[in-house]
Amino acid sequence: MKPFERGEREIRAARTRQLARGPVDLPFLMLVMMLLAIGLVMLFSASYAYGASLSKYHNDPYYFIKSQAVFAVIGLVVMYVISRINYQFWRVLSIPVLLLALATLVLVLTPLGVTLGGATRWLKLFFIAGPTYQPSEIAKLGIILFFSASLSKRKTGLHTFRRTLPRPLEAIHHFLDKVGLWEMFPYLFLLLLISALMLMEPHMSGTILILVAGVSIMFAAGTKWYWYIIGLTAGGGMLAFIMTQTDYMTARIETWLDPWNSAASSDAAYQITQSLIAIGSGGLLGKGLGQSVQKYMYLPEPYNDFIFAIVAEELGYVGCLIILALFALLIIRGYWLSLHARDRFGSLLVVGITTLLATQVFLNIAVVTSLIPTTGISLPFFSYGGTALIIQLAEMGIVLSVSRQIPAPKQGS
Amino acid sequence: MRKNPKPKKPDAGSSNTSAQTIFHRTMILLVLFGIAAFVPLAWKLYQLQIVQHDELQTKATRQQTSDVSVSASRGTIYDTNGKTLAVSATVYNVILSPKDINTVSDSDLKEVYGNDYEDTMTEAQIENAKEQIVQERVELIATTLASLLGVEQSDIEERCESTTSMYSVVKKKVEAEDAADVRTFIERYDLSDYIYLTNDSKRYYPYSTTAATVLGFVNSSNEGAYGLEAYYDSTLSGTEGRIVTAKTSLGTDLLYYFSEYYDAEDGNDIYLTIDTTIQYYCEQILAEGIEKYNVLNGGWVIAMDPDTGAILGMASSPSYDANNPSEITDESLLAQLEELAETLAEQVESGEITQEKSDTQYAEAESEALETQWTNRSVNTTYEPGSTFKSLVLAAALEEGVVDEDTYSFYCSGVQTVDTWDIHCSTTYGHGQESLADAVSKSCNLAFMDIGRKLGAQTFWDYMEAFGLMDKTGIEVAGESTSTWWSEEYFTSSAGYVSLATASFGQRFEVTPIQLITAVAASINGGYLYQPHLVQSIVDSEGNTVTSNDATVIRQVVSEETSSTVAELLEGVVDGGGGSNAYQAGYRIGGKTGTAQTSNDDELIVSFVGFAPANDPEIIVLVAFDKPELVEGSTTLGTSGYNVYGGTMAAPLAGELIAEICDYLGVAKQYTAEEEYLADSTMPSVIGMDEETAAETLSDANLTYRTVGSGTTVTAQVPASGVTLANSSEVVLYLGEDAPDETVEMPDLPGMSKSEARSTLEDLGLYYKASGASTSSGVTADGQSVSAGTSVKVGTVITVHFSDQTVSDSEGTIE
Repeated sequence: MKPFERGEREIRAARTRQLARGPVDLPFLMLVMMLLAIGLVMLFSASYAYGASLSKYHNDPYYFIKSQAVFAVIGLVVMYVISRINYQFWRVLSIPVLLLALATLVLVLTPLGVTLGGATRWLKLFFIAGPTYQPSEIAKLGIILFFSASLSKRKTGLHTFRRTLPRPLEAIHHFLDKVGLWEMFPYLFLLLLISALMLMEPHMSGTILILVAGVSIMFAAGTKWYWYIIGLTAGGGMLAFIMTQTDYMTARIETWLDPWNSAASSDAAYQITQSLIAIGSGGLLGKGLGQSVQKYMYLPEPYNDFIFAIVAEELGYVGCLIILALFALLIIRGYWLSLHARDRFGSLLVVGITTLLATQVFLNIAVVTSLIPTTGISLPFFSYGGTALIIQLAEMGIVLSVSRQIPAPKQGS
Repeated sequence: MRKNPKPKKPDAGSSNTSAQTIFHRTMILLVLFGIAAFVPLAWKLYQLQIVQHDELQTKATRQQTSDVSVSASRGTIYDTNGKTLAVSATVYNVILSPKDINTVSDSDLKEVYGNDYEDTMTEAQIENAKEQIVQERVELIATTLASLLGVEQSDIEERCESTTSMYSVVKKKVEAEDAADVRTFIERYDLSDYIYLTNDSKRYYPYSTTAATVLGFVNSSNEGAYGLEAYYDSTLSGTEGRIVTAKTSLGTDLLYYFSEYYDAEDGNDIYLTIDTTIQYYCEQILAEGIEKYNVLNGGWVIAMDPDTGAILGMASSPSYDANNPSEITDESLLAQLEELAETLAEQVESGEITQEKSDTQYAEAESEALETQWTNRSVNTTYEPGSTFKSLVLAAALEEGVVDEDTYSFYCSGVQTVDTWDIHCSTTYGHGQESLADAVSKSCNLAFMDIGRKLGAQTFWDYMEAFGLMDKTGIEVAGESTSTWWSEEYFTSSAGYVSLATASFGQRFEVTPIQLITAVAASINGGYLYQPHLVQSIVDSEGNTVTSNDATVIRQVVSEETSSTVAELLEGVVDGGGGSNAYQAGYRIGGKTGTAQTSNDDELIVSFVGFAPANDPEIIVLVAFDKPELVEGSTTLGTSGYNVYGGTMAAPLAGELIAEICDYLGVAKQYTAEEEYLADSTMPSVIGMDEETAAETLSDANLTYRTVGSGTTVTAQVPASGVTLANSSEVVLYLGEDAPDETVEMPDLPGMSKSEARSTLEDLGLYYKASGASTSSGVTADGQSVSAGTSVKVGTVITVHFSDQTVSDSEGTIE
């Protein structure tokens, strides 16, 4: 098979092409398709009453599903195309994407940004998938790509010293390098920069997701584990401080701890109590598909972040567990693919994407069930939103493209 | 890929340790995010969907369902002949939705300012336009509704100001006609978003005041508040239906979701034993008596069928209009309130009390007055029955054989000392030697004390118990009272003999009027104590009889023989005895008068219990007046000129009432030979006859005549044919002459005896006809059909009313 007359370089390229031509991971693909299908059906059910009742949606019960279905189709095409691309390509693109992300995050703070509901998160520039989009979505991708690409080249062992630095600095540098902090500085700096930009929008939930995705890659890449213990402790302490000491958060905490009492006065509390009523009234088996009553203007915007409450009302505890299981399987399969990826870049890429997805699912359902205070995080494949859906499917496409290069297990072994 | 057996990691710094680190770290992430993170989610969902399911489902149901009640129509109350006494009709509540009135939609603006108003107008202009639209809307609604419903325009405008309310009642219980006008108005101006009508029901009492205290009334929520309406509330009201549907947060029904219907069950109709005509007679007599005798505290009248216990009429005063129960219309109640208002005003003036306290006191008095007028006194109040009660003692004594009609004899000295009490008969010197009939007809207290003693306390008590005087009768009236007696232990003990003595003539204990009439009915109807009842039958909305009340015999108290003896003796009371004023020729009325003290010494309740015909009673009535006004300083003379006795006040009216009812019921008249003689004659027409034929005709009619003129045929007669006049009156026949056109001045007759009155009239050429008490010796005229001083044509028949002012109830005194 091997053509003798070709050069080394061509041989490698050919092998890579061959590798990239392998089949995608079927279980992962199936899980994505199932969740997307269920997500679309549930979106239709959850949005039906809203579309039908409100004149701003032209009293069209299909208003939401029509739009979402179009984006789903586009997303699937994007996913397919990306899955066909050799993911090594993203290594090259990681820095441009990161720079684009930073640029747009800055731009969104200029008058070019679009403000909705008090937060400037949208940009009407270079429209990728829709008239407006969130630069934070690009930032997520940028961080994952850059961190994976960069950290995959991480060297274990200590840096070689350059004798150009003065001794005291040399000592500090040596120390930092020894405790594993030195190598983390650029990543931490990037995360801080992007967080700062996003908190200016403000976009709390997006920040959390980017932090979790970035940190998960750093963690998987093998940086010193104790920094994560220290980081979690410090983060937890800070969160506790913010929660108890600032007004903005204490109101949220009160709503979270006792939504029933504050439901009359605050919209957030009203939303959460309506969500709890929807979930609770679903019971074991649910009211049946399409039979939710809470979606009839009780639960505000049931097609958005709180769509899972309608899922729980219609499909019951059993349906919820099945959907949770599908998500869990998708995530486990994602990590499994990471474990078996051909190279460290692929591994870290999949870790980042999978962790991002997992965090999103966890935070969304935790908010909807009032396990944690409210933050605006949508449920992947379920919540209404075209850009988000396309980007999610694009990310799935990246995972699939990594899966194509996984060597098959030996036959008969 | 499958054929590629050994993939090599191409990364620059790859080594086994770093690959293992990634592997381990990813495994940690897998466990953390793929498994561990889902545990709290599954747990929390379990908490919500399984553990808290019921609680949250309840919350969901509460907000998601609309529970609309379907009103059941309240049953109708009919009298015994099917005349409607109380009926419900659908009325409407007119409701505004101020929130919607104040909301101007996009399409409203487009309608006025065109589809492109957003482009042609500034924001401020649009705001102005909105205000303008709302203002015009409010004005249209306020002026039109004000004129249609008779409410203040400003009131409606005020309602429109509250921008959050979606429910503001403009007027409740609007009649169907007005509601139709409102509906037309809504349709014409397309106002269905702002005004709507809800169904309600209203109770109508077509006879308004008739039987008001029996029927009671309903409150604004259509729940029975008093009387039969309250007693039979659940029967009449039926069961409300319900429609439970899911609704959206905006209030729209989700009919295709789930809806449950519970049919409304209409209330049952009630047919009363009350006969509207008899009820009317009772109320008339009551009103007449109150007016005539200056009665201060009203009174009551009961008419009952003694053979079934069915109440035919039950009047109570003060009363009210059932259509408007919270208005006080009774004159004496109004007078009392006015007096109080004046006193309070004076007290406020002098600084004795504050205005606030005065208002409270007045409000209290007002609500007390309402309470009073809503009371059915026949059932809800008690009184000392006085001598009317003696009929029961008589029945018990005859039944026990302790007295005998033929052999009983008693000497009444006028006063008797019992323990430390001197008990006086009404006549200071006593009734002397008397038979049982005398004792009854003269209502001798001392004789009845003797009879009571002969009965013995225990037997006496047992009989009163048997007559149903110890228990509520069970008549269908809410809040029935019952008698107050001594304890049985005390009454039957040796220490209780004073109570036995006073109880023997009906004093020092109280019973309800319904208890008394039921017991007296048992003593004269053959001895059977019937359950008194107002309801004949209850019929459901489909016409099936649910319950039917026929006569219910509780027990036989005395034998038929005893009963007929009692009836006969009581007939003697009316026929020349203390009840002679109740006499009506031909009706064979029997009865017993009563005058009893109330808790206040100067207040008397005069009453008469009477029945007819005595040989087979078909009707029994009890007429009582509470506190006829007395002349100051007198214990017997009323300001009306009548003595305040049952025999002088209650008896004559009761007699009239019995006569009216007997006529209405078609009870055959029975005349004795003497009555036949005294009965009236009707003047026949004899004009054109010769004298001989005329003489014969007049003789057949029990009339005598004299002639004027010398012709052979009668050319004129006085009086005219058809008028009634006393038997054996002398009529004048004119032979060949016209009747003279003379007039005379009407004399003043009251105070004259019958013969005096007759001769006075006949001397003047007037004809005499008597009414009222007639047989006893002491009757005197107390009324005449033409008032004194007016000129009357000669030959006119003058009806003179007589009563016996010498009769008295032997209440005597206990000192």
